[in-house]
This record gives sequence, C-alpha cells and structure tokens, in this order.
Amino acid sequence: MKVRELICIECPNGCELHVEYEEGNPDSIKVEGAICPQGIEYARREIFNPSRVITTSILVEGGEIPLVSVKTDKPIPKEKIFDAIREIKQARVSAPVKIHDVLIRNVASTGANVVATKSVNKI
Amino acid sequence: MKTQYDIAIVGAGVVGSFIAYELSRYRLKIALIDKESDVGLGTSCRNSGVLHAGFYYPTGSLKARLCVEGNSLMKELQKYLQFPMKATGKLLVAFRKEEVEELHRLKEQGEANGVELELIKGESIGKLQPGIEAMMGMYSPNTAILSPYGATIAAAETAARNGVDVFLSTEVKTVKKEGDFKLKTNNGTIRSRWLINATGVISDKFSSMVGVDGYKLYPCRGEYHILDKKLAPLVKMPIYPVPAKGVSGHLGVHITPTVEGPILIGPSAEYIDDPEDYSCTLPVMEKLFEEGYKLWPHFTRKDIIRAFSGIRAKPIPPGEKGFKDFIIKEDLPNFINLVGIESPGLTAAPAIAKMIKKMIEKKEKLTEKENFDPYYRGVKRLEPLPEEEKERLVRENPNYGEIICRCEKVTKQEILDAINNPIGAKSLVGIKYRSRAMMGRCQGGYCLPKIVDIMEKEFGLKPHDFYLHKPESWMFGGRLR
Amino acid sequence: MIEKDVVIIGAGPAGMAAAVSAKESGVKDLLLIERENKIGGILNQCIHDGFGLHNFRESLTGPEYIDRYMQKISQLGIDVMSNTMVVNLNKDKVLTVSNPSGRLRIKAKSIILAMGCRERTRGAISIPGSRPSGIFTAGVAQRLMNIQNYSVGKRIVILGSGDIGLIMARRLTLEGSKVLAVLEKLPFSSGLPRNITQCLEDFNIPLKLSHTVVKIYGKERLTGVDYAQLDERGKVIEGTTRHLNCDTLLLSVGLIPENELSEEAGVHLDERTMGAIVDDTYQTNIPGVFSAGNVLHVHDLADMASMEGKKVGIFASMYIRGEIKEEKLYDVIAGEGVRYVLPQKISTQRDVQLLLRVKAPIRDHYIVVRDSKRVIKRRKVINMHPAVMLSLSLKAKELAETNGRIEVLIE
Repeated sequence: MKVRELICIECPNGCELHVEYEEGNPDSIKVEGAICPQGIEYARREIFNPSRVITTSILVEGGEIPLVSVKTDKPIPKEKIFDAIREIKQARVSAPVKIHDVLIRNVASTGANVVATKSVNKI
Repeated sequence: MKTQYDIAIVGAGVVGSFIAYELSRYRLKIALIDKESDVGLGTSCRNSGVLHAGFYYPTGSLKARLCVEGNSLMKELQKYLQFPMKATGKLLVAFRKEEVEELHRLKEQGEANGVELELIKGESIGKLQPGIEAMMGMYSPNTAILSPYGATIAAAETAARNGVDVFLSTEVKTVKKEGDFKLKTNNGTIRSRWLINATGVISDKFSSMVGVDGYKLYPCRGEYHILDKKLAPLVKMPIYPVPAKGVSGHLGVHITPTVEGPILIGPSAEYIDDPEDYSCTLPVMEKLFEEGYKLWPHFTRKDIIRAFSGIRAKPIPPGEKGFKDFIIKEDLPNFINLVGIESPGLTAAPAIAKMIKKMIEKKEKLTEKENFDPYYRGVKRLEPLPEEEKERLVRENPNYGEIICRCEKVTKQEILDAINNPIGAKSLVGIKYRSRAMMGRCQGGYCLPKIVDIMEKEFGLKPHDFYLHKPESWMFGGRLR
Repeated sequence: MIEKDVVIIGAGPAGMAAAVSAKESGVKDLLLIERENKIGGILNQCIHDGFGLHNFRESLTGPEYIDRYMQKISQLGIDVMSNTMVVNLNKDKVLTVSNPSGRLRIKAKSIILAMGCRERTRGAISIPGSRPSGIFTAGVAQRLMNIQNYSVGKRIVILGSGDIGLIMARRLTLEGSKVLAVLEKLPFSSGLPRNITQCLEDFNIPLKLSHTVVKIYGKERLTGVDYAQLDERGKVIEGTTRHLNCDTLLLSVGLIPENELSEEAGVHLDERTMGAIVDDTYQTNIPGVFSAGNVLHVHDLADMASMEGKKVGIFASMYIRGEIKEEKLYDVIAGEGVRYVLPQKISTQRDVQLLLRVKAPIRDHYIVVRDSKRVIKRRKVINMHPAVMLSLSLKAKELAETNGRIEVLIE
C-alpha cells in the first residue's frame, strides 16, 4: 500500500486527507480526514487521474479590452495542462464575446471546452 | 536641433537648467545637454528641497553670497515658473551647551551675510513647532521649501519654449577645442563657442575631459525616509539639529516637510565610490529612523512610504574638515567650470545663472529677445485649486474630471500634459515628477496601470517603449498574447 | 447638491452585495459609486476560480462572480455611477465626487464604506538595495497581465505567500515565465491550502517559509535579490543569505484597507484591523455611516466580503426607516491569543456574529467569550489559524445580562 498526504481543494475547508492506495487500483483507495464525499472523490482523482480546471485568457480582436478571461468547462488531466495552454495561447477570437461562449472545443483532445468567463463588447 | 551653438551647457540639473533659463532671455543659440533621459535626474531630484537662507557659510564666500541672492531670486522666479514652494521658515535646534554656542556663532555669521535670524528660548520652541524639546533654537524666517525637481523641470521646459535645444540621453564622450568646443556625443557632434560644465557630482571628471585637471570630488551619499503626508499638519517647517562639528558641511539628520505633504527624514552622509550608486542600505535606514525619532518622536515605521538617496558633490575628502567654496571659474577661454556645487546649490541656482550671464557679458554683448516668455506652461495641478475653480475646469475639460492617481488626486489632463512636455521626456519618472502621479502612499499601485493605458491608447506606445528612467530600466517583457 | 438615501462607495464584492440587499430591503433612493468603468472591483482581474463556493455553491472565476451580481443589479434597476472617484467625504455625510462629466456633491442619509484595500509596497517595508524597475506588487502585475495584456518579466521571485502571491505564481508559470521561489517571512503561509497545492506543488515551485528578501540588485532593471532565513523573532539568521538571479520581483506583502476617505470624515479606525470601529449594526462612530468588506477588515474570501455587504445593506435600509435606535454599546475586547475581533462594540439587543482572527496557529483550544462576571460562550475549535477568519454566533438573550467588559480570548 502506498500512502500520500493531500489537501483537498474542492472547497475552502482544505481538509487534510490521509490516503492509502494500491498503484493502478482506484477501488483500493482508503481516505481519512474528508468531511464530505467530495473529498474522497477528490482523493481518488488526485491519485489516479489528477486534473485541474485551467483559467487563463484569449486574445480578442476588435474588443473594448484586449483579453477575454476563459476557463476549461471541466478539469483536465494535469499532464495535458501545457498542451492546452499552448493551444489557448495561439487562439484568437473576435469581439463581441459573450460570457459562457464556447471559444475552443475539445481543447488538446481532453474533452473539455474552453469557455469565456466574461463578455467583451466590440470597440 | 542644430549642431552649432553659442552656448553649450552640459548637465541639465537645477543649476544647468536655471543657466539655460537665464540665458534664453537673450539672442543666443543654446544647447542644454544631459546624459539622462530627463532633466534633473541626478542630485537635483534627490535632496531635501530646502531654499536656504545663507547662514551656514563663511561671510564673503561664494556660497554665502550666491545663497542669499538665490533665496530672493528663486522666490521672484517662482511667480513665473510656478513650481511648488512654501515660505515655512526653518528651525535650528540645540540640545547641548556646545550646540548652543554654535547657534550663536551661526547667528552672527548669518547676520554678517545679511540674513534675518532670531534666537528662540527652549520653552518657546513649542509655539513655532510643537513636539520638539531642545535647549535653544534659532528661527530663520527666510528659509523656504520647494520642489527641487519641479523647479528644475520648470526652468528647463521654459528655456526650451524660449528656443533652447534640450539634448536628452546625450552623453559627451570627448571635448576638443578647435576654435569652438567640439563635443562628441552618442548622438552626434555638437559645436559651441562657449562651454559650461554643470555636470554636478562628476564635474571633476568632465573638467578633466575638457582639459582642466586638478579638481577632485568625493561622492557622498545621503539616504532619506519619506513619511506619509497625513503627518504634514504636525511639521510646520524644516527642523535641523545644529550641525555636528565632525563632518564638514554635513547638516545632520533633519525633519523636513515637503510642499506636497510628505515628510523627509534625513539625509545621512556616507562617502562612496560610485557617483551613481543610489542604493539604500539597511544600517543607514535603521540609523535614520532612530535619529529622526530622537529629534521628533511623533511617527512610526508604518508611516514610512519609501526611501531614496541622493549624492553630494563634496570637494573635501572623507576624514578632513574645513570649508571649500564653490568653484565657478572661466578655467579656459570661454569654458566656465562649475565644480563642487553641493548645498546650497539648489538655492544658489538662479544666482549662479546670473553670475554666469555676467561672465559672458564681460566678453560679448548680449541682446535681449523681444518675445521671451518667462512663464512655465506645463502641467497645471488641479488639486491645490479652490473647489469652484476645480468644478469650472472640469466642466470645460472632462479630462480634469477623471482622476488617475488616487493618492495625490492627479487627473488625466495633468498626465497628458506631463507626457506632452516640450523636451520630449517619456520615462515614467518624467511623468511622475511633472504630474505627481505615483508619488503617493500606494506608489503607483492604483495609477501605474492607468498611466500605461493612457500612454498606449493616446500615444501609441508599445510594451518595449515603457521604461522607468531609461530604456535599460524596461518595464515589460512584451505582450502576454 | 443631490441627495440620496443610501450611497455605497465601491462596487466590489461587498459593495455589490450591499446594493442588492439594500434595494431588496426597500431602499428606493440608492446610489452605487465605482471608480473603475466596470463594477466588480478587484474581481475583474481575478480570472482564476474558487469564488462563489459559499454564495452560489459553484466554483466561479472572478468575472463570473461579478456577472451574477451584475444581473441582480440590472434587474433591480440599481443606480450605478461608474468611472467616478469619491474625492472627499465629510462628517456631515456629504461626498464630493469627480468624473469626466463633472464634480458634484452628494448629501447622503446613509453611507456604506466598501472601498476595499490597497497593496503594501516595497517602500513601506523598506527593503534595502537599489531601486530598479521590475518590482511590482502582485495585484498590479495581475492587472497588467490579465486586463491589459502585458508580460511583466521572465524570471520571477515572489515575496509573500498570501493568496495573491500564490495565484500569480501559477499564472506566471502557465504564461511561460519561470517562478524561482515564493518566499514567506512567517513560518506558515497565509494562503489557502488549496492554493499551495494548485499553485506551487503542481509546478514544483519552492516555498521557503521563514525567509525574506534582504537586498535588491540592479541599477536599471532588477538583476537579482538576496534572501535570508529568519528566526522565531523575525530577525535575519547570519550566514543564511543566498542570491537569486531574477528580473522580476512580485510583492504580496499585505493588504491595507483604504480608509483615507473614512479618516478625513472623522471615522474612528481600529489599529489592528486598519478598518473602522463598528458596532453590531456595522455602523461606525458617525451615525448612518457603515462599513463592509475588505475596507473594514481583510477577508480570506470574496464570498465573505459579500455576505458582510449583504448584512450591512439590510442595516442601512433599517437605518433609513428609523428602525435602528440609539443604544448603549459595550466594548468587545480582543483578549489573549486573539489578534482582532469584530464588531468592536455591541448593543446586546440583537443577535451578533463575532468575527475574529487568532494571533498564531493553535490546535485543540477554545474560543471563549466572557465578561467580568461569567463565561458567556465557550467553543472548541480543532484547528485555528491566523489565515482563516473564525466566527462565533451569540444570541441576544445570551448577552442580555452582561455587565460589559466583554472579552474574546483563546484558552
């Protein structure tokens, strides 16, 4: 059995989790210290398939401001973060952009979309 | 810009700029040259900003005479150049018997120099300046405080509007006399009939470059703390301890209010090798706090906004005592050498300018210009004006209604005017010294991004165009996207 | 001079929530003043997520959080005066404001101070060395990057492990800069544990606790910093000084509530919170002048600032209707182990939620509220940390028989 100490990031409580698990066996996981089921799920994902929501910006052409803030609409595997960032950095969108618009579909083949988190009007 | 001039002034500090202003009254082709990206970026923007009355200097010395003359001239010129100035007077305080004796000596010397002075009994000091406990004081009613960078910029810009060519970021590499003086710079060659050395801390080195050896200056750094302007109501005037007899000319750590509000504690005095090392050091910063607190125990560390330092051009080496006067001499035909213009250089600047004018007049006729405009026409500060005046200005010009620097209440129009200065200075410190933006307690935390936005949108600047002092102090690595 | 019932200064998380709750509580003549041209305050540039977990049960980015309030503000028809700076406030509740359309004076029956904070600067913490370009407070760097599309530098050192510093460590790394280290002068980080994971551990950025920058190098642009280890008293340990070559130093060394306007008006401030001294209706010493959000005390989460704003909006509406009577107020004192407690005065006539921060991390101790006679309330908390604001609710009847001298302490 392997052991890891994690801090759950699902909510600001930041429960300190003591996790025991077998490599390659997600069902083997034992989690102590979580005050809710999200914590256990977080531990399982964090050990076997660590993922993050990415928040960054995309260049806007013809907008009141030069950048639209964006996020992935779900967490993506950690090892794909920089591939996704690379794709996002090269993207361009034209104003107007509305909050929640899907700007990139299936970024870096992760299945997650990149969506606008603010609106940008045309200049 | 021309390449042939009547007068070339090398060094656009307060002295060089006032010389340029004075000479720009006459029909002369004048070049004002500085290696920095703006005027006044050497010692002129880094001092206590005090207009001295003239009692520190031996009677009959140039320092004494030019200080007293400069004191009235500066007050006269302020009406035209409109830099911030306040007639506060000054308090000198003695804590020990030897210091009281020195006070008496300074009063005698001052009166011999033509300075009005008044001795104050220990108990009465509190009426002038609350919070100081001393044995005896001396009040100098003619001492004032002014903005040293404000005065320098006003003089230089007004000189520019009157035809002076200002060469910024221009460093003189060699000087040859071939009839005229031939100055080789990084921006081409400038020829001039007269050459004036107003280079300040490095004036000994420049003098050698021109071929006059024998002068040696010892850079002496003074560090300061700046305290939040909310303390301004507590400090009515500069408070100086009686000068310690040990270090020549070093005035001791004083408490100096500034016209805009913040209080200065300092300067220290430390001889250094590099005449451009403006660092602030930990032991000195601590000592300044201690000594300042001893003199005036009414502030805390939380009141410190920032530190800065300036470098004096001292003609006396470390360890030696004594008095050395200003060197203002025509050391070669048509070469006027100013060496060792330390304190009271700021006060004396307009008087030095008149003296130089007279030196030139001895050899040639100077004809006044008909259309000389003595007024500074740069940034007009909104904040000091009465409310009805502010309302009217905002109605006429919406840019006066948009506040960019929240701490100092600087409006968009003032920022625009600062950027649109007639000498082409485009650094952030240039905007700072002209508009006052970024000089408040948040040090640009609110206004810097807005100023950058204005410069980008209204002046087309790109990320690599932004710098603090010069292109080497770049602000941004480029665009994010 | 125009007149308003309620004027809210600042449309950040607290101000927006106060405007909504005041309007929903029946205030008709309401004005929300904001100095930027968009409402939302600092959240406009906080493009990371983690906001709204309490108030909306979702993890939102800053701009999305603003959007939720913006919708309510539009629906409720709340009057917003943006691009407007309050330049003066006096004790008679008259504001002088300025925007490109003009300068005008507004007489308010009630004011909610919600101006938020400014960042502590390099100058204010007196870091020795040269004064080159390349030194930014984290918030300024965040704004320049996220709003204005500027890159601040390539090799970064961050001083301060508060959330802003941690968030910027991640942001800069994702944008291709190299964050060499995050230095923290205290022996613990004041940032949220989730941020230590997501911003530092994810990217192998070293966190050096009990370290600080002791000298800055670089004549024109920053070239590097010296940093050293500190002992328990915060003094530099000799021989531990090391150098880091870098071109950018980000400072995340504390937020200072922006109470200059409050002070000008004669509002009394608490030295420890740097915010106004308030009672259990969040009123300051000036009747009708309230305070909420970061300008009152620095919050850990925007959600909490909004919750406070929401409460204060309701109190302001009660004040307008004359429902808040003059009451005897008792001082609430921060005792042993407590850095500060809010509100600093209570009337005992209403339920109150005490908010407090402890001085140092401590486990398995009790928060105790007592007066000179008896213990009013005692609650065990397993884990107490200065970076996490604690709250303790007291019912009016629990406070009813008090004789004053109320103290909140840890034991």
